[in-house]
Amino acid sequence: VRIVHAWLAELVRVPEDVETTAHELSLRGFEVAAVETGRSAVIDFEITANRPDCLSHIGLAREASAIWGVPVRMPDLAMPSPGPAEAIDVRIEDPDLCPRYCAQIFQVRVASSPGWLVERLEAAGVRPINNIVDVTNYVMLELGQPMHAFDLDRIAGRTLVIRRARTDERLTTLDDVERPLDRDTLVIADADRAIAIGGVMGGVDSEIAQTTGLIALESACFLPSSVRRTSKRLGLKTEASMRFERGGDINAPPVGIARAAALLNRLEAGRPRGPLIDRYPVPRSPARVYLRAARIGRLLGEEVPAQDVPRILEPLGFGVAASREGADPGWMVSVPTYRVDVSREVDLIEEVGRHYGFDRLPATFPVLAAPQPPSDPRIGRDRLVRRVLTAAGFSEAMTFAFLERHAALPFCEAGFEPAAIANPLSEKYAVLRPSLLPGLIDACSHNRRRERRDIQLFETGSCFRAGGESRAAAFVWTGAAQPPHWSAPVRLVDFFDIKGVAQRLAGAFGIEVDCLSATRSYLVPGRTAELVVRRDGTAHHLGVVGQVAPAVAAARGFPAQEELYAAEIDLAAVAALEASDDLTAQSLPRFPSIVRDISIVVDEVLPAATVRGTIRSAAPATLVSIAEFDRYQGKGVPAGRVSLSLRLTFRASDRTLTDQAADEATDGIVGALRSAHGAERR
Amino acid sequence: MTDPASHIDDLRTRFDRELAQASSEPDLRAVRDRYLSRRGGLVSGLLKMLGTAPPEERPRLGQLANRLKQDIEERLSARLAETERARPARDAVDVTLPGRTPALGHRHPLTLLRDRIEGIFTRLGFVVIEGPELEDDYHNFEALNMPADHPARDMQDTLYLASPVRSAVGTPATVLRTHTSGMQVRYMEQFPPPVRLIAPGRVYRRDNFDPTHTPMFTQVEGLVVGEHVSLADLKGTLFVFLRELFGANRQLRFRPSFFPYTEPSAEVDISCAACGGRKCAMCKHTGWIEVLGSGMVHPAVFEAVGYDPERYTGWAFGMGIERVALLKWGVEDIRLFYENDLRFLEQFPL
Repeated sequence: VRIVHAWLAELVRVPEDVETTAHELSLRGFEVAAVETGRSAVIDFEITANRPDCLSHIGLAREASAIWGVPVRMPDLAMPSPGPAEAIDVRIEDPDLCPRYCAQIFQVRVASSPGWLVERLEAAGVRPINNIVDVTNYVMLELGQPMHAFDLDRIAGRTLVIRRARTDERLTTLDDVERPLDRDTLVIADADRAIAIGGVMGGVDSEIAQTTGLIALESACFLPSSVRRTSKRLGLKTEASMRFERGGDINAPPVGIARAAALLNRLEAGRPRGPLIDRYPVPRSPARVYLRAARIGRLLGEEVPAQDVPRILEPLGFGVAASREGADPGWMVSVPTYRVDVSREVDLIEEVGRHYGFDRLPATFPVLAAPQPPSDPRIGRDRLVRRVLTAAGFSEAMTFAFLERHAALPFCEAGFEPAAIANPLSEKYAVLRPSLLPGLIDACSHNRRRERRDIQLFETGSCFRAGGESRAAAFVWTGAAQPPHWSAPVRLVDFFDIKGVAQRLAGAFGIEVDCLSATRSYLVPGRTAELVVRRDGTAHHLGVVGQVAPAVAAARGFPAQEELYAAEIDLAAVAALEASDDLTAQSLPRFPSIVRDISIVVDEVLPAATVRGTIRSAAPATLVSIAEFDRYQGKGVPAGRVSLSLRLTFRASDRTLTDQAADEATDGIVGALRSAHGAERR
Repeated sequence: MTDPASHIDDLRTRFDRELAQASSEPDLRAVRDRYLSRRGGLVSGLLKMLGTAPPEERPRLGQLANRLKQDIEERLSARLAETERARPARDAVDVTLPGRTPALGHRHPLTLLRDRIEGIFTRLGFVVIEGPELEDDYHNFEALNMPADHPARDMQDTLYLASPVRSAVGTPATVLRTHTSGMQVRYMEQFPPPVRLIAPGRVYRRDNFDPTHTPMFTQVEGLVVGEHVSLADLKGTLFVFLRELFGANRQLRFRPSFFPYTEPSAEVDISCAACGGRKCAMCKHTGWIEVLGSGMVHPAVFEAVGYDPERYTGWAFGMGIERVALLKWGVEDIRLFYENDLRFLEQFPL
C-alpha cells in the first residue's frame, strides 16, 4: 500500500524525515518496498495478509502512535445536518455473507475534484475520476473502509437488497465486462436485478454520471471467505475485494459514511438527504482476551516490564485493564474490531513483542531436554550414492520433476498414464516424471550442444510411477570411458562401463546383482539388462541398465549417432535389500592360494553367467574366485565359437593346497564344461 | 726460476678461471687431466718442482701445494657431481607432461549447501527428516492454520494434481507440496515433544521462470518444540546458523513478519554482501537482504497435532537453499541450478 507521508502526518505526528518513518515501521513488521522522497513523499509498504487494517493511513498512524508515543488525530467525522429525506429501502437477505450494511442518500453536484484531492489520490496510486468517486476512494485509503456510490435514479424501486445472485443472473461490472453470477455470489440488487457484486465491484448501469443528482452511498462489511471465493471465481481483484477478503471492520461502515459526508460537505459537492440507514442484524461486541504477564516472558524469552504492556497496546486501540485471573496476573484486553488478526493471547504477545522490539531480544539457545531419534536413513543412502558416483566420475544434476506428456510416455510402464498436474505452467510441465532419465538425457543434450562430448551425470530424486511416488538414482554416460590422456587413444564408453558402475553402486550397499537380458522401450534391444538380486530363492528387481535408444535420445536433442548409456536404480529396493549393519570382520587367509588359467572354446552365444554356473557346481569348496581375462574370436577359433580364458583361484582355509589338488579340481571343471557345453580346452 | 709460492698462486688463479669456463662434463674432465694427471699434470709438476726448493722452505711450500691440490680435487668433484645430477637418467620421463587424472564428479552446489546446513544442525542436536513430495491438503495447508479460502494461501501458489496420486507414505495426495512443513506435521503426529528437527527437500510452486524463481526449488525448514522454547532461542539459534553459513562478518537483523503457522512471526535479514550495507540495487537500497522466515509455532498447529499449546512452545523456520546460493556465491540466475551445465557445476568445491 502506498502511504502518503503528508497524509499520515495529518493523522499522527511522525518524524519529518520519511526515511526514518519508513525504517521504524519496517522494524515493526511493515516491510518497505520503496521510499519516494520529494514533494509528495510516499512509502510503499508490503502489508502482510493478516493486517487489512493497515491497508490504510489510519492503520499505520496507530502503529506510529505506538512507536513515538504520540496520539492519533481522527479526521473530521462530523455529519452535516441532512436535508429533506429521500425514500430508500435497504434489506439484508443473507446476513451470513453481509453482517452489516449502511447506506445514506446524498444530493450531489458531480464535478472534478480539487487539486489537493487529486494530488493525494495520485500519490497513493489511485486514478481520480470525479469528486463523488474520489471521495469514496479517499475514505478507503484513509480509513480502510471500501465504499461505493450508486446513482439513485438507476435503482429500480429505490430498493437495495443484499442477497445471493439467482442462477443465470448476469451483471456488467464497471470494467465493462459482462459476468455470469451464481448462487455463491453475493450481490447488491434493486427491485429487479443485481446492480453490484458485494465487496468486489459495482455495476456499470448504476455508475455515477455527470448528470447524477442523487446518490446512495454504500458502506458495508462482507464475509471474507465469500468475497475471496467470488473474486477468485471471477478473476477480479479490486481494492475493495483485497480489503474485504482479509477481513473488514464490522464497526467501520457508519464511520466511512460520516467521513464521506464530511468530505462532500468540505468540497461543497453534496449533502445528506435523510438519515443514515444502518442494517446490522446481529451486533457484535469486541473480543476480550486475557493476557498473562508470565506468558509474555515465556514466549519471547525476555521479561517485558509491566508498564510497557499498556504503553504498547493502548495506542494501537486495545483496551487494557490490569487484572488477576486465577493465579496469573495480567491484563484483560478488549480487541478493537478492526484488528481481525487478534483473537488469542499469543496474538497480543506478538503485538507486545513487535513494539518492544525483536532487535532487543537476547540471542539464546534452546535447552536440549532429550535426544532425538536418528535421521532418516534415506539421507545416508543418498549420500552413499553420491560418494560412489562422484568417485566414479559422475557429477550431480538436478532436473525438474515435471515434463511434457509425450516425452514421459516412453519411460512409463505399459498401460501407465503419467500423473498429470491440474494447473501446469505450460504443456512442457504437464505430467510428473515417471523416471529420472528424461531429465538427465536433456542435461546431456544441453552439455553436448555446448561443445562437451564427455558427459557423466547422475541424479537422485523422486519419480512417479504406477505405484505412486518413489525414489530412484539414475546415471548417464556418453563420450570417453576414461579422462582423455596423451598416452593412449580415447576409448568410448560401452555397456560394460555403465554395468560396472551399477554393480559398484549396488556393491556399496552390500548387494550383489546379476544382469539379465531384458527389453525397455527407451533402451536398445540386446544392450539392455535388468539388475536382479537373488535372495532366498526370489529374484528382486533393482533397476535397469543399457544403451539409450537413439530415437529416444534424438527426441530429446541428443545426437542419434552417438552412444549414450544409462542406468536407473530403485532406491526403495536398495533399502529393502541392503546389507544390515551387523558385520563380523573376516580373518585374513593364513595359507597361500594356487592359480590355474584355462582356455576353452564354446559356442559364442553361451552366456558367461552359464559358464560360471557350471564351474561353480563342478568345483570343490576350495575354488575362491573365477575371473574372465580374455575373450577371443578369430584365427584358430572356428566360426560361431569363442575362446574364453578364465583364471581360477583355489585356496583352503586350513592347509596349503597341493598342486596336485588344484590340477585335479581344474580337470574336473574342464570335464564338466565339456559335458555341459561341448567346451574344448585349447 | 720463479718464486714457487707465487707460482702456486698463479696456478690457483688459472684453475679458477678454467673451472669457471668449463661448461660440460668433457670440459671438466679435461681440466681434471690438465691439473691432476699423474704424468704431466700441472699439480704433479708443481710437487716435483718443490724438490728443488731450499730445504728450510719445503715444509711451508709443501703445505701450500697440498692445499691447492686438495681444493682442486674437491671443487672438480663437486662440479662433476653437479653435472651428473643434471644429466637425464636412463628411464627419465618428461615430468611436465599431464598426468592421468582419475575422473571425479562434483556434488550439485545445492547438495553442497544442503550438506553444510545439515552438518551445522546435526552438530546442534537436530534430527534430519524427509517426507513425501506429494501431499494432501490437510498436511500442506489445513493443519498449518491455513483453512480453505484463507488469504494466506495466495502466498504460495500451488500446483495441484489432476487426480489423487499415492504419496511416498502411501496416502492419497492432491498437491505438490509448497513447503516441507507437512513433514513436520507428520513428525509431530508420530512423536511426542521435545522435537528438534530440520526438514530439507524439494518443493513446488506455480511460479513462472525468472532469474529468482523456478516452479521447483529446495527448502530447508526447522522445528523445535519443548517446554521452555522461546523467540529469543529462535533468534540465537538462527544467528549461530547463519553466521556459520555466511561468515561471522555478516550483520543480521531479526524483524516481525507474518506467516499463518507462526505467531509471532519473524524474518531474518542479512547485510548485503554486494555493498556491505551501504545500500545498492541488489538490496533494493535497504542494505539488507531477507534470508529466511520463522516464528513461534501457532497454537492452532499444536492443537492440530495433539500437542498441548499451554505446556509446549516451539519455533519453526524455513529458507530456500537456492536463495542462499545466490547470496553466498553471487549466482546471477537461479535457473542455472537446473540447467546442469557441467561448466557451472564444476565451479563448486567437491
